Amino acid sequence: MSVEEQIREIVAKIVHVDKSVITREGTFKDIKADSLDIVQAMVAVEDTFDIEIPDEQAQKFQNFGDFVDFVERCLATKERA
Amino acid sequence: MSQPLKGRIALVTGSGRGIGNAIALKLASQGADIIVNFFRRRDAAEKTAKDIEAMGVKAQVIKANVGDPAKIDEMFDTIGNDWGRLDILINNAASGVGRSVMDLDVKAWDWTMDINAKAVLLCSQRASKLMEGRGGKIVSISSLGSSFVLPTYAIVGVSKAALEALTRYLAIELAPKGICVNAVAGSAVETEALKFYIKEGLIKDTRQATPAGRMVTPEDVANTVAFLCSEEAFMIRGQTIIVDGGTSVAPFATPE
Repeated sequence: MSVEEQIREIVAKIVHVDKSVITREGTFKDIKADSLDIVQAMVAVEDTFDIEIPDEQAQKFQNFGDFVDFVERCLATKERA
Repeated sequence: MSQPLKGRIALVTGSGRGIGNAIALKLASQGADIIVNFFRRRDAAEKTAKDIEAMGVKAQVIKANVGDPAKIDEMFDTIGNDWGRLDILINNAASGVGRSVMDLDVKAWDWTMDINAKAVLLCSQRASKLMEGRGGKIVSISSLGSSFVLPTYAIVGVSKAALEALTRYLAIELAPKGICVNAVAGSAVETEALKFYIKEGLIKDTRQATPAGRMVTPEDVANTVAFLCSEEAFMIRGQTIIVDGGTSVAPFATPE
């Protein structure tokens, strides 16, 4: 399963929505995620991929695609290290 | 400057920012080595550690979500391996969801109770084992919301009431082991968290003079915590010390 698909599954499970409604262009607001959902999604993704997503970084995500891109960049950096 | 805590090792949960940061710096200024725990802001925790080391004592940064029992175990395994003991535990880490009682759901309840109450139990259990044979101090941070109704503060208030009750039970059970357990409750303390609550409109701006003439600062709370960690406080057990500039005993007073 791709990183994007894994993140989509995590978010869908936490926010209680179907995976299909989470698009790369969509936002947490679009799927009616509240602030607790967002924190829990960040924590779950951090634990799954063993990475850190600083709060100030998370605040810059414009949409789900930005979130996925950031995680992929972290994983690439980790692989190089 | 006297260093009554020289040679002691203290874990302060959630000490990257706010009250936890002030407590970590205060205990370090008294000579304690500090384990700085954080959850979401590594940069802030590392800054705290740097400030601590500048005082000539040791600091270690450990990331752990204390709302997750497995992460608490990992943190204490690290402390056991790296330090071999612990003298002081400050249960400061806290979180919450600003909602009215009728808007609370299971997720908000569990999130807040796990971090603000269950973590106090689990951290105290693990810490007390690292204190065995030498005694120690456990101080947990509460708030006036445990006893008074504050707007949208329901779940945090409930969690803090649990923390205070747990403080009493821990104090008695751990007394034979020479471990002093107490809590400190502040009123609205001037921190980033308070500013957030005000900005989001979750609570009214209560930054008004207390009977003591000013807002409570993180340092006011830290000073009380440091006192409870001193030998002078040996006979204080299971208490919640209120640091509010007199607000709670004068609810009808209007600042002049």
